[in-house]
Amino acid sequence: MTAAIETSRLCKNYGPTRAVIDLDLVVEPGQVFGFLGPNGAGKSTTIRMLLALQRPTGGRAALFGLDAAADSVEVHRRVGYLPGDLELFPRLTGRQHIAWFARARSGVDGSWVKQLADRFQVVVDRPVRELSKGNRQKIGLVLAFMHRPELLVLDEPTSGLDPLMQHEFESLLRETVTEGRTVFLSSHELDEVQRIADRIAIIKQGRLVAEDTVEGLRRAAPQKMEVRFPCSVDPAELRAVKGVTVTASDGPQVKLDVTGEIAPVLKVIASHDPVDLISRPPGLDELFLGFYRDSPEGEASHAR
Amino acid sequence: MLADITRLELRLRRRSAIGYAAGLALYTLVVVALYPAFKNSASLNSLSGSTAAALFGVTGPLTSPGGWLNGNIYGNFFPLIMLLLTIGYGAACLAGQDEDGTLALITALPIRRRTIVFQKAWAMALQALLLAAAVTVCVFIGRGFHLTVGSGNTVATAAALTLMGLDFGLITMAVGAATGRRGTALGIGTGLAAASYLLSSLAATISAIRPGRYLSLFYWSVGNDQISKGVSLTDFTVLIVAGLCALFAAVAAFRQADLN
Repeated sequence: MTAAIETSRLCKNYGPTRAVIDLDLVVEPGQVFGFLGPNGAGKSTTIRMLLALQRPTGGRAALFGLDAAADSVEVHRRVGYLPGDLELFPRLTGRQHIAWFARARSGVDGSWVKQLADRFQVVVDRPVRELSKGNRQKIGLVLAFMHRPELLVLDEPTSGLDPLMQHEFESLLRETVTEGRTVFLSSHELDEVQRIADRIAIIKQGRLVAEDTVEGLRRAAPQKMEVRFPCSVDPAELRAVKGVTVTASDGPQVKLDVTGEIAPVLKVIASHDPVDLISRPPGLDELFLGFYRDSPEGEASHAR
Repeated sequence: MLADITRLELRLRRRSAIGYAAGLALYTLVVVALYPAFKNSASLNSLSGSTAAALFGVTGPLTSPGGWLNGNIYGNFFPLIMLLLTIGYGAACLAGQDEDGTLALITALPIRRRTIVFQKAWAMALQALLLAAAVTVCVFIGRGFHLTVGSGNTVATAAALTLMGLDFGLITMAVGAATGRRGTALGIGTGLAAASYLLSSLAATISAIRPGRYLSLFYWSVGNDQISKGVSLTDFTVLIVAGLCALFAAVAAFRQADLN
């Protein structure tokens, strides 16, 4: 099956600044793909290249097997896009925006659009300049979903949405992928992404640093442990165990990160007759921050 | 039926386009209504021929119908307002909308970039035509005030001025597409138009720069007293060729442009 998105050695430079570096990404159809990274990591630049809003300095981006730039008209027909910093026309109302975009796309199902607008409780009768960021974002979501595109490219889609609307958005995403369509979304909302994404790619300073399923990433992430012993313990003994990092040690209280097998460290802990042990699986946010901290310096580029 | 982007652009610029047209129409009506009071003023004619008068676009006798219209409308205010409209729109429609962040949504639609440029250029032309039509109608009303100029010349000069406005508007649009900066586009568009105006106006009295007037688009539209003499085929050809060159430059620049 043709990938919804496939990039090969995709690069973008702004003068001497390298914003995206040799990005290889494959997004299979029928999934929610989360694209994570901090500000300036190159997420929006990558998205703009997928939409042919910006031209790559090198490499290639293909959507449905079509070249993002050369076949942009056909690609755009099949893609719904929500820009990161959504800006609408201040004097036009939500209704005017929706009507204009529906007409420009042609063949848009009016009842579906109405359903979308109702679902997101879009304020349709007031000029956009009078609306809050969240209400503008809802209009942007309707514009992205209105033509039931095969692929949705959403840059920070939930920014400004209240929890109720975020929930509505998440259920819309689930319906979308159930129908075999694909969602590619960038986000800072790590909790949200681990709830809704099937696969996740993490980008740092323009480079891909990790790509896997949420479960796969979680397995690779360290387990957090807090142990209390009856008396002080030499942390070096714990540190000597493979895959263990002592993150804090205060007399009888020790905090550990454990990657890989857990049995060896449990044996060492047990030998000291622990009083208390708390172990919790890592959240994606810890994992995410971990990738950022741990990435070798050699990978650092000059991305903005 | 208007194309989608043209329709949207006209919707967005409706107020300003109508405002420009209504304002200039009112001014034109006042000018034509005042003509009977000045048409026998000998002192006014002594003004013409001076460099100061040339600076205001006055090139012939002021009390003749053609001179009165040239000195008060066609030589200065009409092109000024036309250029405000076309250069302003030229800077706003690509570079301005890109800076505002609204262009990305339009460009992500299944529409070719060159079509976007063509539809925006058409929106510019329709706004300019509205302005020209408003002035032309008011000049025709001037016949009730003894201000009689040939119908053909009136319409042709308005058409030539519209073309000149579009030329500078499209140059501004091309600069905006190439740089992505509204301010740069406005600066270059306005600077070129101002230089063109001065070149054409002053060439009438300063012989040293006389050959340079051929470089001025003003010369080919109103600077050669077209309201009295008519607009030649050469005038139209120069104005149209300049506009087509600017339009294709805008298409070429926008096809290569990185958008926000």
